Amino acid sequence: MKKVTIYALSTCLWCRKTKKYFEEKGIAFDAVDYDKQDEAAQKRMAEEMKAAGFNCSFPFVRIDGACTQGYDPDEFERMLGEK
Amino acid sequence: MSVEARKKALRFLFGPTADRLGYKFTPNDEDADFLLEQLAGIEAQTGVPYCPCQARSGDRAADMRMVCPCIPFHRKHYDAMRRCWCGLFVHKDVTDPDALRQIPENRIR
Repeated sequence: MKKVTIYALSTCLWCRKTKKYFEEKGIAFDAVDYDKQDEAAQKRMAEEMKAAGFNCSFPFVRIDGACTQGYDPDEFERMLGEK
Repeated sequence: MSVEARKKALRFLFGPTADRLGYKFTPNDEDADFLLEQLAGIEAQTGVPYCPCQARSGDRAADMRMVCPCIPFHRKHYDAMRRCWCGLFVHKDVTDPDALRQIPENRIR
């Protein structure tokens, strides 16, 4: 089972759609709302996203070692090894 | 002002600006309504209608690039996606916004 982590904003429509995508596929995931974290945690999350080559736009999705940004079911399927 | 009244006001304020930039509100009314509600809430909290899908850094100059409608600050990126990042606006010729995908900025050539 691949480990899926979603960094999100509670105000973000596409973050909600991303969570729904994984829920509907029955794939367990960890989700963290950036805007609900304290400053230190936000800084860690932003640095992790930057280290992966992305800016601070959401959603940010990590599937095992691969990362992407944005709601893109085709990309999620590719990262899950379904394509 | 109620949230509903502010949503209407934001639609009234943003429409002409988006039009001049070659964009329009997404024809997906459910998505537009959700996004306008988030913008109204963010504006009520911070005084500024920042993008609901981008995190603020606290750096004023950087954060100003996320004030809706933020199209002028991300022109190449958004033109490539034919929508803005949060999807409130799409190119004027878009009829099926659900067919559009978010593309990370670092993948735009």
